[in-house]
Amino acid sequence: MDNYSSNNSDVKKLERWSKFQLPTYFKRVGYIVSLLGVALLITKAFFDVPDWVKPVLSNMLILGLLIISLSKESIEDEFIVSLRSQSYRLAFVFGVAYAVFVLPFLNYFVDIILDTSGEASFQVSVFEVLFCMLTIQLLFFNKSKKAHQ
Amino acid sequence: MKNTIKVQRAIKNLTQEQLASLLGVSRQTINSIEKNRYVPSTVLALKLSKVFDISVNEIFNLDDTD
Repeated sequence: MDNYSSNNSDVKKLERWSKFQLPTYFKRVGYIVSLLGVALLITKAFFDVPDWVKPVLSNMLILGLLIISLSKESIEDEFIVSLRSQSYRLAFVFGVAYAVFVLPFLNYFVDIILDTSGEASFQVSVFEVLFCMLTIQLLFFNKSKKAHQ
Repeated sequence: MKNTIKVQRAIKNLTQEQLASLLGVSRQTINSIEKNRYVPSTVLALKLSKVFDISVNEIFNLDDTD
């Protein structure tokens, strides 16, 4: 009996983490943060900036996309929850496929074309993988929401 | 699984939007259930039966493929 009730509280604890979401208005915050990140990444190219600026701005973009992804819909019902979990599943599969199959070859061909030292080959960029996963998730989620209109 | 939501809705003279707000779900959810693209949870099925004032078995029926 004791064992059973402790399992129950474990389930509740896990659910608190797995069902964590931000309020709907955070979606706007996420868009602002990620668009600001993109805008600053573009303008950065025209100025002489220190090395740490690029990773900070890339992280800002990723964080913005994560905030959008975690924000609730105005009506977050069971159907939306199922579309959301499908989109996370797809994003996970695409992220792994992208990191394993696409990115190393892309880098390899870029190396050949630009004739660099070959150091970039078969190296996987964390930013690119995370960006791929988050955009796939958001695109698939929005697309399937529209398809069921 | 087949369902008679569209018919029941017509009997009660409700739009998808009105039914959705009565159940606290989005219009897409009602649309997807009507078109057999989404199987609702037991909770939502029971809420539907409450709104239409009929049993769940009268709304949802098993198909030959189920």
